Amino acid sequence: MRINDVGGMEGFGPVGIEADEPPFHADWEAHVLALNVALLRRGVYTLDEFRDAIERMPPTAYLAASYYERWLSAIGTLLREKGVLDVDALVHADG
Amino acid sequence: MRMAEHFTAGQRVRVTQLDPPSHTRAPRYVRGQVGTVVALHGVHRLPDDVVAAVAEPRVEPVYAVRFAARELWGSGEHNVTVNLWESYLTAAAKEA
Repeated sequence: MRINDVGGMEGFGPVGIEADEPPFHADWEAHVLALNVALLRRGVYTLDEFRDAIERMPPTAYLAASYYERWLSAIGTLLREKGVLDVDALVHADG
Repeated sequence: MRMAEHFTAGQRVRVTQLDPPSHTRAPRYVRGQVGTVVALHGVHRLPDDVVAAVAEPRVEPVYAVRFAARELWGSGEHNVTVNLWESYLTAAAKEA
């Protein structure tokens, strides 16, 4: 059983509904969506693997994260696991 | 390997009482529950196998299965329809 499987669970409060809700609430959210679509279409990972990576987030982080924060977390996880992203190199490049 | 359809629309099916630590598309609230097949959604790779990096993931029929909310949660007049892979389902006995 994983933390994402909350269907039917009570206590999260009402779903907030915004009038004229924009597709994104910040530019970075659009970038995350575009990045995910590009990586899926290039076959870097599958949609099933993407869902799985979201589900594998630490439960407390999962519950605290917004929708696109979960996406970004999963993209980072998969890029590291697939060897696309070298975290050590990234840290060193940053100085 | 592609699996043939074992269930048809109108048939009663029971969701396996599974609880894997890994990825699955059978939500907890339907596990062990009985529903009615309302549609077939073609054949698709079993996500559980895809994520487990099985060399040849099972390719199975996916069914839309309708459950009465009252049976899942004890109240409610509505139905809930969930798309479920063949592996998650077994034939259920006819209504008494």
